[in-house]
Order: sequence, then structure tokens, then C-alpha cells
Amino acid sequence: MLTAELLGAWFSVFLTLGILSYLYDDNPFYKAAEHIFVGVSAGYWASIYYWTQVQPNLFGRLWPALPEGTKTGFFHQLWYGIYHFLGYISSGSFPEGGIQGHAEIRMIYLIPLILGIFMLMRLIPKIGWLARWAIAYIVGMAAGLRFYGFLNSDVMEQIKASNINFSGNGIVLLNGIIIVIGTLCGLLYFFFSKEHTGVFGKLSKVGIYFLMISFGASFGFAVMGRISLLIGRFNDLIEYSGHEFHNATFWLLGIMILLLFIWAFTGKNKQDKAAA
Amino acid sequence: MKKFIDILIKLGSVDRRYIFVLVGLSVLIPLIWPINIPIRATQQSQNVFNAIEGLAPNSKVLVSFEYGPSTKPEIHPMSLALLRQLFENGLKVYATALWPDGLFMSADAFGTMESEYDLEYGVDYVNLGFRPGNEAVVKGIAADIPTLYTTDTRGIQITAIPMMKGIHDVKDFDFVFSLSAGYPGTKEWVQYACDPHNVPMSTGCTSIQVTEVIPYVEHGQVKGILAGMPGAAEYEKLVNHPGLATGMMAAQSFAHLVIVAFIIFGNITYFVQRKRDQKK
Repeated sequence: MLTAELLGAWFSVFLTLGILSYLYDDNPFYKAAEHIFVGVSAGYWASIYYWTQVQPNLFGRLWPALPEGTKTGFFHQLWYGIYHFLGYISSGSFPEGGIQGHAEIRMIYLIPLILGIFMLMRLIPKIGWLARWAIAYIVGMAAGLRFYGFLNSDVMEQIKASNINFSGNGIVLLNGIIIVIGTLCGLLYFFFSKEHTGVFGKLSKVGIYFLMISFGASFGFAVMGRISLLIGRFNDLIEYSGHEFHNATFWLLGIMILLLFIWAFTGKNKQDKAAA
Repeated sequence: MKKFIDILIKLGSVDRRYIFVLVGLSVLIPLIWPINIPIRATQQSQNVFNAIEGLAPNSKVLVSFEYGPSTKPEIHPMSLALLRQLFENGLKVYATALWPDGLFMSADAFGTMESEYDLEYGVDYVNLGFRPGNEAVVKGIAADIPTLYTTDTRGIQITAIPMMKGIHDVKDFDFVFSLSAGYPGTKEWVQYACDPHNVPMSTGCTSIQVTEVIPYVEHGQVKGILAGMPGAAEYEKLVNHPGLATGMMAAQSFAHLVIVAFIIFGNITYFVQRKRDQKK
């Protein structure tokens, strides 16, 4: 029987093999898998963002379901008149009576709503410049927020961490000295206002060695991470090769190899004809 | 000797696709015919374990899911091992997600836990779900949780959840654990929540993040680290519940051996070729 799980398994195998087929060459299976991934990701993210943030936290604060007995005036009726109009367009997003979760209308949330609309104005070239206001806000906010975080945790705390602990044992002391030498020499390497010659050049060279060790460690961990992901995909391929999934891996692998062979053969023929 | 060097140089310029096949086989074979390899917990994994063990029963632990299906093989086994330890020690688990996919990873992990333990939602654990905004969300959790989260993943009002009573900001938690696969993740928790408010935290992250996070660990800003799949396998051993990561470690080790062999071989052929070119 065709179940969602079975269909999902076959689709998962197809996408995995499609992506892995790039190791042979750029081919239609890879392209199909790539485009499906990009399209599904965009749709999935948009949906998640809308239903977890825009609808409950933005619209929910602008048009909340107010507690019974709340006094309503002209402004309230006008404001919720807009809401009812939106409700005609999408009753799922704007349910009858307001959105549950908040007890009062927060007009300040009109600012993010307007900035969000400005962002979408990029789609209309004539007024696309409005998007710059929203981007300026995001960049300014992010810069301010990150400055504080980096200054405290990465600069101040890490300067403290690179102190040599003279009260520790020999290994702690040696470790502290290596960290101080590595940090200073690494920083010297990036000081380009002075020519890297003589003692300065030698120290910056020591800095390069420290950087190379650091990049080597990063590379090693990156390889380990990628292998872990490969293991994860292979694990799924092995699981889906079973009878309960109608041997999805074997069938799709066989079909793909056959089609790739035909594709490569016909492609080569076309190339030969074009060359002739 | 000359013939041997010729063969060596020829092998050095072999089509990269043969190398892909060999690396693939080194992963596939140990997965089909599993081999048990001994796993010994490193000091960093032990530090994570000790930090959690040191929490009193009913302590509140915020677990943040910052990974998705692409990094599931590395992080999910440590999520399960960690949750087992938390529930066995009678700790209260508050889950959040900085990644949209994290929402489903947490749902999957709690589903597994519910099948193993007698858990009551809203009393033993709560899943607050995903909020977009990256570090702004972390900052929001650090400052005002009820404003950020009005409902949980089940659509229940936060005010109606028993274990959310008395939870206003990150200072109300005894421990924070970040299950991280990148940005936003561990770094953001350190910078915007745990460092400024002195809340102890620990992390389980992907291998690729380790070099980025390790300075925080060395300075004590993060209590230990579970580093990638080996970290997950070590934690499974520590919580005495061998699982997925333990089974995958043989494949990981074999693949590493093959890659190291290729690096050494590639370097030898490079130097041999260079020496020959210099002679010419």
C-alpha cells in the first residue's frame, strides 16, 4: 500500500542519489534535486516564518482578540473593519473576533509592518529604494547588537582567557605561554603598516605557523563533519533498501545508473556530431 | 626504483572519482557489517556530563535546538542522550528552536522520549518552538520570554502551562544547553544570554563549529563540549545508552583512515614529482 512514509522514503532516496550523482558529473538528476531542494526550502521557510512570527506576533499584536467587556469606540471599529476586510481574503490568517494571544492592541507594531512592506517593494523597481530603509534598520540593529556581544564575550573575556596562570602546574604554564605567543604573533602577521622583515618578519612567520595549525584543525573538523553527514545519508539509504520500503535504494540506483549511462552516451554522440 | 616512482606519480594523478568511490566504500562497508570499536569519553564530554549531573532535581534546563535534517546524524544522537540524562535526573526541560527545522528535530526527540519515559507535557517538559530573528530571539529570551513566546508548539497559551509559571527570562533557568549546527547557535547563546547574565551553559555542536566554540570552553564560558559524532558517541557511553552515534563510529574511523592515507600519499607523490621536475 502506498503510504506517506513509503513515498517519503522513495523521494528521499531519489534526492540523495540525485545529489550524490554530481560526483560523476553535472547531470539532470542533480539539477532536478538541486532545484527541488531550493524551491521546497524557500516555501518551507516562508510558511514557517509566517505562521510562527508574522501571524501570531505581528498581526496578533495589531488585531488581538480582546477580552470580553473591552470598551470599543470609533477607532476600534475602524481598525477592526480593516481586519474584517483582511479576514475575507484569508480567514485562516485573520480568524473571526481577532487573533488569540494578546490582551491589547500594540500600535508600535505598525513600524515592523511598514518596514516589512518596504522590503517587498524591491519587487517594484520604481519604488524599490524604499527597501533601503528596512535594510538600514536591520544593518543598524544587527551592528549594535553584535558589537555588544562581541565586545563582552569575544574581546574582554578572551583577553582575560589569554592571561598566563603562574599559579598553575607546568603544563598550564606552558599552555598559557603558547597561547600568548600564538596570539601576539598571529596579530603581528596582520599588521601590514610595517614591512615583514628582520625580527618583525620572523615573528609574523611564527604567526603564520600558528594560523596554519588553526586552519589545519578547522579542516580536520570539517572533514569529520562531512563524513558524519555522509554516514547519515548512507544509513538512510541502507534502511530504505529493505523490503518494507520495496527496495527503494536498489531500484532507484539501478534506474539512475541506466538513465545516466544513456544520457552520457547520447550526450557524447551529440558532441561527436557537433565536432564533425 | 624508477618504475616504482613512475607508478607512484601516475597514481598521484588518478581521477578524483576513484577516490570518491574508495571513501564511499570505507563508510558503507562498516555500516553494512558493523564493527564495535572502543569509545572513551574525552575530558570535555565528561565535563558536560558532570555539569548536568551537578544540577539538583527539578532544576530548569533550557535546551535549544539549532539544527536540521542536514546535520541530524551528528547532533540528534546527542540530543537523545542529553534528554535521557535530563529526564532520568528529574530535571524540567524547556525546549526552544532558533532554526525552523529545529522545531521538528525537537518534536522527533520528545516523541522518542515519550515512548521511553512517563512524561507529562507542561509538567516535565515544554516545547516553546521556533521564533525567527536569530540573535534577537536569544536577546529576547534573555530579557522577556512571555513577550517573545505567547503560545507553545501545541498552540497552548504560555500562561496556561504549569511549568512556565515564574519563567520570565534566561536568569530563571539553572542551565542552558545549545544543540547547535551553526548560526544562530552556541556563539549567540554565549554572547547575548549566558555570559551577560551568568547562566551556566554547555553545548553539543557539529565538528565544523568546534574550533569556533573551543575558546569559550577553555575559558569556562561554556562547560564542556560535545564535538560532533564522536562527542555524541561518547555521551551515549556516559549516559549508558549506546545508540546511533556509537554504531556509526566505526564508519567514521575507517573513513578518516582512508582520508589520512590519501593525504599522506598525495603529499609523497607531490614531493616526488617536484623533485623530478627540479632535476629536469
